Amino acid sequence: MLVPIFTLKLNHKINPRMVTVGKFDGVHPCLTAATQAGKVFIHNPHARGQKPVAHRLSQSTQDSDISMLNINQAVTCLTAGTLGPNTTGDTLLVGSQTNLLAYDVHDNADIFYREVSDGANAIVLGKLGDIQNPLAIIGGNCALQGFDYEGNDHFWTVTGDNVRSLVLCDFTGDGKNELLVGSEDFDIRVFKEDELVSEMTENETVTSLCHMHGSRFGYALANGTVGVYDRTARYWRIKSKNHAMSIHAFDLNADGVVELITGWSNGKIDARSDRTGEVIFKDNFSSSVAGVVEGDYRLDGQKQLICTSIEGEVRGYLPASKDLKGNLMDSSSEQDLIRELSQRRQNLLLELRNYDENAKGVSETNSGMGVIPANTQLQTALSVRPATETQKAHVELCISTPNETIIRAVLIFAEGIFEGESHVVHPSAQNLSGCIRVPIVPPKDIPVDLHIKAFVGGKTSTQFHVFEITRQLPRFSMYDITDDSSQAPPNGKVVFSINDRPQRVVMWLNQNFLLPEGVDSPDITFNSLKGGGLLSISMAKNGQITLSTDDIDLAGDLVQSLASFLGIEDLSAEADFPGYFEELRTTLTEVDEFHSVHQKLTAAMADHSNYIRNMLVQAEDARLLGEMTTMKKRYRELYDLNRDLINEYKIRSNNHNALLACLKSVNQAIQRAGRLRVGKPKNQVISACRDAIKSNNVNALFRIMRAGTASS
Amino acid sequence: MDIQLNRVDYIQVGVTSQKTMRLLPALGKKATQKVAIADHDGVLTCFGMKKGEAVPVFKTLPGPKISRMDLGGAAGTPQEKIFVCSGSQVRGFTKKGKQFLTFEANLTESINAMHVAGADLFVCASYIYNHYCDCKDQDYYLSGDKINDITCLSSENLTNIVPVLACQDRVLRVLQGSELAYDVEVPGPPSVLELYNKDGDVTGEDVLYGTTDGKIGLVQIGKGSAATKWEIDNDKKKGGILCIDTYDILGDGVNDVLVGRDDGTVEIYGFESTNEPTLRFEHVLSESVTSVQGGCVGKESYDEILTATYTGWVTGLTTEPQKVEAGPGDEVRMSKETQSKVEALRAELEQLQVKVLQGREQYQQTSQSSTAVSAVPIFSINDKFTLCQDDASYSLTLEVQTAIDNLLLQSDVPIDLLDVDKNSAVVSFSECDSEQPNGNFLLATYRCQANTTRLELKVRSIEGQYGTLQAYITPRLQPKTCQVRKYQIKPLSLHQRMHSIDQDRPMNRLSLVGQFSFAEIHSWVVFCLPEVPEKTPAGENISFYFNNTFLGTQLEATYCKGEGHFRSDNISTISILSDVLSKEATKKKINLNISYDIDDDSVSHTLKMIHPKLEYQLLLARKVQLIDALKELQVHEGNADFLIPEYRNILDESANLLEEYKKQPAHLERLYGMITDLFIDKFKFKGQNVKTKVSSLLEILENYDLNSLLNFFNEV
Repeated sequence: MLVPIFTLKLNHKINPRMVTVGKFDGVHPCLTAATQAGKVFIHNPHARGQKPVAHRLSQSTQDSDISMLNINQAVTCLTAGTLGPNTTGDTLLVGSQTNLLAYDVHDNADIFYREVSDGANAIVLGKLGDIQNPLAIIGGNCALQGFDYEGNDHFWTVTGDNVRSLVLCDFTGDGKNELLVGSEDFDIRVFKEDELVSEMTENETVTSLCHMHGSRFGYALANGTVGVYDRTARYWRIKSKNHAMSIHAFDLNADGVVELITGWSNGKIDARSDRTGEVIFKDNFSSSVAGVVEGDYRLDGQKQLICTSIEGEVRGYLPASKDLKGNLMDSSSEQDLIRELSQRRQNLLLELRNYDENAKGVSETNSGMGVIPANTQLQTALSVRPATETQKAHVELCISTPNETIIRAVLIFAEGIFEGESHVVHPSAQNLSGCIRVPIVPPKDIPVDLHIKAFVGGKTSTQFHVFEITRQLPRFSMYDITDDSSQAPPNGKVVFSINDRPQRVVMWLNQNFLLPEGVDSPDITFNSLKGGGLLSISMAKNGQITLSTDDIDLAGDLVQSLASFLGIEDLSAEADFPGYFEELRTTLTEVDEFHSVHQKLTAAMADHSNYIRNMLVQAEDARLLGEMTTMKKRYRELYDLNRDLINEYKIRSNNHNALLACLKSVNQAIQRAGRLRVGKPKNQVISACRDAIKSNNVNALFRIMRAGTASS
Repeated sequence: MDIQLNRVDYIQVGVTSQKTMRLLPALGKKATQKVAIADHDGVLTCFGMKKGEAVPVFKTLPGPKISRMDLGGAAGTPQEKIFVCSGSQVRGFTKKGKQFLTFEANLTESINAMHVAGADLFVCASYIYNHYCDCKDQDYYLSGDKINDITCLSSENLTNIVPVLACQDRVLRVLQGSELAYDVEVPGPPSVLELYNKDGDVTGEDVLYGTTDGKIGLVQIGKGSAATKWEIDNDKKKGGILCIDTYDILGDGVNDVLVGRDDGTVEIYGFESTNEPTLRFEHVLSESVTSVQGGCVGKESYDEILTATYTGWVTGLTTEPQKVEAGPGDEVRMSKETQSKVEALRAELEQLQVKVLQGREQYQQTSQSSTAVSAVPIFSINDKFTLCQDDASYSLTLEVQTAIDNLLLQSDVPIDLLDVDKNSAVVSFSECDSEQPNGNFLLATYRCQANTTRLELKVRSIEGQYGTLQAYITPRLQPKTCQVRKYQIKPLSLHQRMHSIDQDRPMNRLSLVGQFSFAEIHSWVVFCLPEVPEKTPAGENISFYFNNTFLGTQLEATYCKGEGHFRSDNISTISILSDVLSKEATKKKINLNISYDIDDDSVSHTLKMIHPKLEYQLLLARKVQLIDALKELQVHEGNADFLIPEYRNILDESANLLEEYKKQPAHLERLYGMITDLFIDKFKFKGQNVKTKVSSLLEILENYDLNSLLNFFNEV
């Protein structure tokens, strides 16, 4: 069995996911992690007591191996690595909600300190695409930014939602790194520089990503799922009731292939085979895992897997030696094999017994057994139901039995459309029947597999037959076909041309919408049950398609879905969404206002700090002179001032949050404008919009969003 | 842990009941022993180990489920005759497998406990005890509550055999002939009895017992009274005891106590210089340990602990060291025996696979026919729904012989589902609109990880809210079926049976008079309170005593035909009882004359009882709140020396405090809820509705002080 080769107790809390190892002097690896009170600690057991105390760095009084780095802001992410071309050691990069600091620990000097208005939720350091220098890429609110060693941003793009995880890996296999971005809208996006090449939709916030080998990468979600992708195909995934705090690729069993190491919120560490997800090793911490990293911490030329817990416990594991034969757990494999085979035999025997007993028939008296006619088949039907007085608009799933049997309960397991992973319908004993109607309201336009389990039996049964059926809910299921022309037609529209037959569009309609009897013409009008008004689709003879809706997100989804169905690689479009554009215009003016308020507040704060300094000196003077009444007065004033400062801080943070929300919606607007196009035109729109915002040219921005290009 | 034991799996049979596996006496010194095991398929298997392979001695044909096994034989000869009981029938087999006895006990219920001693046979079926000698009826006894196990003292010093019954109502009943000699109070419902050292030790009077809540003890059953020699509490909240054996596995010359629990734990308690047992070894199997035996099975001169589990695995924990043969190849080379074993298994699997495919096809074909029916046999579930005394919550354990696929929990009363660390299943709560006619308050699904055969859940109930909790269990077995199990959440769900109550407390009394029979009022009490036997007690009247596990208040219920008296120091208990009882009586159209005798002191008494708990919780909550801030200060300043000792103390004990806090989620809220109930109930009996004043009560609780609370209760 594999045991840790070293264990440390650091006596400092470690913030989850903010752990790294850096060789700041170029030789000695140091475990570096963010801790409470806006500090970063650097554990350097190799060079004891040589560190001078200056600038940001101070020696911890509790432990001589640890130096503290004062950031004075809540740290949100950190990493270490080679950034500059001529530096001896690694550069430490620390991100906070508003700033990014690049710091040279060895020389104890800031390399650069940049304000990042979109915040830094995640950071990754390395080479991206054809860009020459390594970049520190941060992901914030809907935006990605890459800085080189001088602090210049060489890379900028937007993404669908707040970024939570980043990793660089050669996804396309062209020898250059692509950027993988996991965000809060459940997507993993792949950027080849600023071009979006791939998009994988998961069912929860993507909290961690890690590169395994080749084009293979691991991911973790906020709902306790971890898994491995190879390009766009998912290899395996597992779900636990705990949350994956950190994932890392490391070859623990020394077979030449890395395993996915996961640190869990309950303190468990497990290593899983990258091919199957089978657990090959596990260990337990007493508190949640904070981060999993690797480094040659003993300076003996071998990399160790280093796991840390939030309470500051650190354990290092060496890859297994040959004589363990890849068997890292303490139970013997042959016993397990025999046990597994016997278990399978037992299962088969039980199944066989079920068939035998069933063939024998059963006495009528035993009603608890849940005897049902052998030809019972479950019928399921999906239909769109508009809102009524008592019930909101929904998609109705009707499950029924053809005979007198009843359905005791229905379990539906589906991802992303229920609060948890399942939805249960359990009628009371008086309301049992052979038909159950389940209202489903999908919150997003995504195709969902509904795994239905229905318990079928008699009214007094204690045992039921379980029918398992899988139905697919099409992507655009909350749209009801309508020919009612009384409603006002939508103002917004997107127009584009395709070189395909109308029949193909009809096929797409039938596959992606819930249509009771199918359609045969691509001209169709829907009523959006999510309250978005009408949606009408029409196709002219020359292949020009007009999508009319006021919902720009929906238009984007439709364009993307249609383009991928028809295999269109590049698609430019003209769009107009007067309502949304007006909103955006207001947001842009708001951004300006918030900015000016922000500046004013900052100035006020500087005044106050000066005032405090004076006051404190006066108060202390008074104390030394023994003038107690003056001193008391001064301190009372100081107290009042302090209260004012706190209030001001609250105003400032509210202002800041509002500003962030606005910036996010601006970033989202660019993303949305991009989604109305496909391929190259899409990237053109995004970069043109970015330029327009940089030059603060609002009119040009709207022109680009409408026409797709800057020149009109 | 100074002993190293290695796990070896021998064979798997069908689902087993408690105490259905025994080791036959060894023929020579240090020779291996044969194992006899009986299962729910009615098969009695006897096997021995030869070169690592199980060689059957004999195997009977399937029949009705076997619920117990015992060994017997004429006095003075080796006890090697095997007795099994199924239904109300007892059968005897020689060690060669020849059936020499079939005895029909003619009981209406099936036998669940049995003891054999020479020509004497003792059987118990729920409430009934019967003694036969040479198959002739001797004695008979009707117990007050369910009998879980039986053992008998028999030694040269005793003229008669003395049977001891383990009864659900927390007593051991010692019999003399058909009469009760006396009873022995034990700390929990006893589930298993075993003679110490297999013969009752030197005096022949020492009996080991284990309880369903995980306690073990040794009592000396004397002539007219009993004395407890030692008791082991269940501090670590392990499972209930299912089986006990005594065997010197440590090899120190003193017999050790081997224990098997329903959460899969196997333990060895050794005796060092003192006579107090200490835990020397622990191993956790994945399912209930139904039988445990000490002996020598796998290899000569290596002692081992043999266990049988619920799903029928016979597993040894042997002192024989495991040899690892490291071969030159990459794979660990398997020993020849294992290899042949694996090959045989694989071949068998292939055959079975073919058969199963045929079965599946046939089953599919029947679905074409319009007359055929599909009836899948009921699979067996081992379930337990018990109240845990320490945290006043219910624990539900479910065990199925094959892996569980998913579990649906449904409740029509408000209950809280708590997280259990051991449980790895992914839980998902479904929205349930209690406004709907479906009346669901809880709908939760557990999707189990592969190979989960046992699930443990924790449920917290609120007194006064009663109904049913239903669990639908779906195993991973084709054709897929699910089974529902129902558990009653009783109105006074947090009460537990006791042997006596403290009579000095101020008590409130609720009296009922009306035209009801003894059986009727008993059924109402069964409906209201847990741990009351379903069967109407013998005699004219009866008294039961209860303890509220959360608050420590008590309840005495005394009733007979036409009359019932309930006394409790907690006014809320009385209020709940009166509500439920009058509702039940109305259902049966019985006129009840209800009278109360309320002692105003009882409310302040109850508040004073709650006080230390509440104060402790408030202090704990306050301390826990401070921990993070203090830690930050500590980091900021570099050390904690500048803090006042109180705060430094909090920092030092932060780990313990956090753990304590985590253990009792929502404890404060529960206490607040109970104080609010107490407040409303106090004035309900005075005919006042004080619901509008609850908000001011909550305000007082926010800034808690015992006196102001007492004043508030008195003023309004």
